[in-house]
Amino acid sequence: MTRAQKLNVVGFAALIVLLFAFPYLGTSGYQVSLASTVLIAAILAATVNFLAGDGGMGSLGHGAIAAAAAYGAGWSSLQGHSITMQVVVAMGTGIVVTLAYGLLSMRTNGIYFLMVTLAVGMVIYGLAYRLSSVTRGENGITGIQRPEMLAEPWAFYLFVVASFLVVTLVLLVVSRSPFGAGLRGVRDSESRMRSLGYYVPAFKLVAFMISGTIASYAGLLSVWHTHFVSPSSAEVHRSVLLFVMVILGGLGTTLGPLVGATIVVLVENVVSNSMERWPTLLGVIFVLAILFARAGLVGSTAKLVRRMRQRRAGAGPDDAAELTDVPPTSGTTTSVRP
Amino acid sequence: MKSTTTSAHRRLGALMSLGAAAALVLAACAPASSSDPTTPASDPTTSDAAPSDDANGETPAGEGGTLKVGYISPITGNFAIAGQEMVDGWNLFWEINGSEAGGVTVETIVEDDAGNPELSLTKARKLVESDGVDVVVGPLLANTALATAAYTSSVGVPNLHPVAAADDLTQREANDLTLRTGSMSGSQMNYPGGVWAAEEGHKTAVTLCPDYAFGWESCAGFKQGFEQNGGEVVSQIWYPNGTSDFATYVSQIQAANADIAFVVTAGGAPGPDFLRSFMGLGLTDSQELVMNCCGMDQATLRALGDEVLGFKSISYWAEGRQSPVVEEFNNAYAERYEGKIPSANVAGGYMTASLVAKVLEENGLVTGEDLVAAIGDASFEDSVLGKVSWDEYNNTVGSVYIREVQERDGKLYNVPIREFNDVDQWLGLDPDEAMARETYSQSFQG
Repeated sequence: MTRAQKLNVVGFAALIVLLFAFPYLGTSGYQVSLASTVLIAAILAATVNFLAGDGGMGSLGHGAIAAAAAYGAGWSSLQGHSITMQVVVAMGTGIVVTLAYGLLSMRTNGIYFLMVTLAVGMVIYGLAYRLSSVTRGENGITGIQRPEMLAEPWAFYLFVVASFLVVTLVLLVVSRSPFGAGLRGVRDSESRMRSLGYYVPAFKLVAFMISGTIASYAGLLSVWHTHFVSPSSAEVHRSVLLFVMVILGGLGTTLGPLVGATIVVLVENVVSNSMERWPTLLGVIFVLAILFARAGLVGSTAKLVRRMRQRRAGAGPDDAAELTDVPPTSGTTTSVRP
Repeated sequence: MKSTTTSAHRRLGALMSLGAAAALVLAACAPASSSDPTTPASDPTTSDAAPSDDANGETPAGEGGTLKVGYISPITGNFAIAGQEMVDGWNLFWEINGSEAGGVTVETIVEDDAGNPELSLTKARKLVESDGVDVVVGPLLANTALATAAYTSSVGVPNLHPVAAADDLTQREANDLTLRTGSMSGSQMNYPGGVWAAEEGHKTAVTLCPDYAFGWESCAGFKQGFEQNGGEVVSQIWYPNGTSDFATYVSQIQAANADIAFVVTAGGAPGPDFLRSFMGLGLTDSQELVMNCCGMDQATLRALGDEVLGFKSISYWAEGRQSPVVEEFNNAYAERYEGKIPSANVAGGYMTASLVAKVLEENGLVTGEDLVAAIGDASFEDSVLGKVSWDEYNNTVGSVYIREVQERDGKLYNVPIREFNDVDQWLGLDPDEAMARETYSQSFQG
């Protein structure tokens, strides 16, 4: 193991410890709940990041997938189902919706993929808004409870942290698997993969299903967090914000979604307490990131560190490739596909 | 080289999972020290026990303490204008009367939720858990209001709603800590309009409402009022939110050939847009029309000017009502906001503030359920909204005005031409009967 790798491992371990220790550092209930919001957003952003970073598919529909799962939980809770049943209905709704997305979009790419996911997202928003017998229309569904075991804010927070770590790990494993390599092949050149004998739509569908299933799970977590779902959860605006998080953090990086989600959620929730023009600030941050850190904060920092190391040690390019945690393919992260 | 990196990453992955597992084990041992993070959350409940004790003792003097108010409103985003007006109304009252009532200082923290219910929730959490407010006021929209009310009631903090119109806030989702203080529910405020239309001798009506909860409730209110009094709604037309070209809807109204048309908007651009189409197709003289609160508010009057003279509408707020309270409010608002006349949103904020002030003056500092109970017992012989009291579901029982646009001193006002007093939210039904029905939608209008 090289020194850089050891540093990475130590960094990750420190992050994990920090995440778990957060509720014990004298933080208030509000701060813990805010941290849960950040992590749930990070899970959702990670699913978009996986699809866009490894698969080259920019989706504008993930907010709506999460909302569909949340509505599943809400509807089920209105029917008085048990918690287990609520989870089943929520995940079931999310997965069915994901399948619809996947089947509609698996033969498209680039801008067309973006448009198809946008359109399906709008359909879900429309249903949430208008199908009031199931969704209660604009009023939304209130009073959705989480399992009693997680009733305490800190218990729920720890559960979210564990979920976040597991999701990150799963996505990392998928991304490093042969399937992940195939997916990156599809991203880089569909025609090449086709001529090599791969059935490209299947790759896309499977990737979408993985991503959508996790997004559904994030939707379930968010409804457990807020006890509430309304059509605004399915708005395009939410899906766009997910993309902003991914690009801010760094497309295709492991920790990018967490960094991006932290910035966006904190601007939305904390900066807005003292600054009236907070949407402008968010826009300025985004523009600055696009101009000066095109690989996102995590991606660009990694690049910077790598360049400084190279200059100092005059290390060979082979070594340099190993120096950071960013997967070797991340060179393409600069080209934001959609 | 590729293979070495993958194996390195694999090792890294294994290490990470090990770390995660270790952390999970750590977490499993956590509950011992668990009471620490939860204590701050329970603080507000302990703190409101103390002040209410003082209040029972003697009449409040100068040292009455402080009532901390958290005010959530959409100051940015699509609903920024209405949100800002709601804040202005609240602030206006305290500017005129001083921020002290009954010896209690009222301190307000304003938070922006951008019309997003998740943001409203975090803001409500912040206000309650970090700032320790005694009462949360707002937010504006139906979904944000319902989300906030569910949270505040779960932590024992009162929640007052100056503008939100969702029926369920004081019906199916009603609770002991949530009050509608400055407005009425969607069906309640339009029900008398139906009664009035029928009493005017109209036999048939056509309705045009936006196709979502507020529109469904508004149309349902009008329809029930109209039909309970012998009229018949012959056609109900719905338009999607965000419609800007109303020409097709206006021709549908024309085709329905009804005695009167009832048109609802939720405020903003659709009001003037609809009226331009309506007048453009020459229906002004041939089609009787009555609009709701927000379709014919001050924004519409300012946009269309003299063209809308004589147009009628239904609302719980009438800026042209002859009353010293309304005139004082109008003048104070005009003085601070470039001669403008206040809208229902401003009135809602102002009304809520005057209610809080009245309760503090009569009871000294009260918080929690005592505050809600005190408001429930309060009543106004004449407020900016007229004669108002509160029912046992914490909704306003008050006056609804049939208004006509008239000119006074070069300005346009909605002047009441007919007044319905003590209008409650049950549309002539029994509360239990009303709530047992399904919620309003396109297909269920009562």
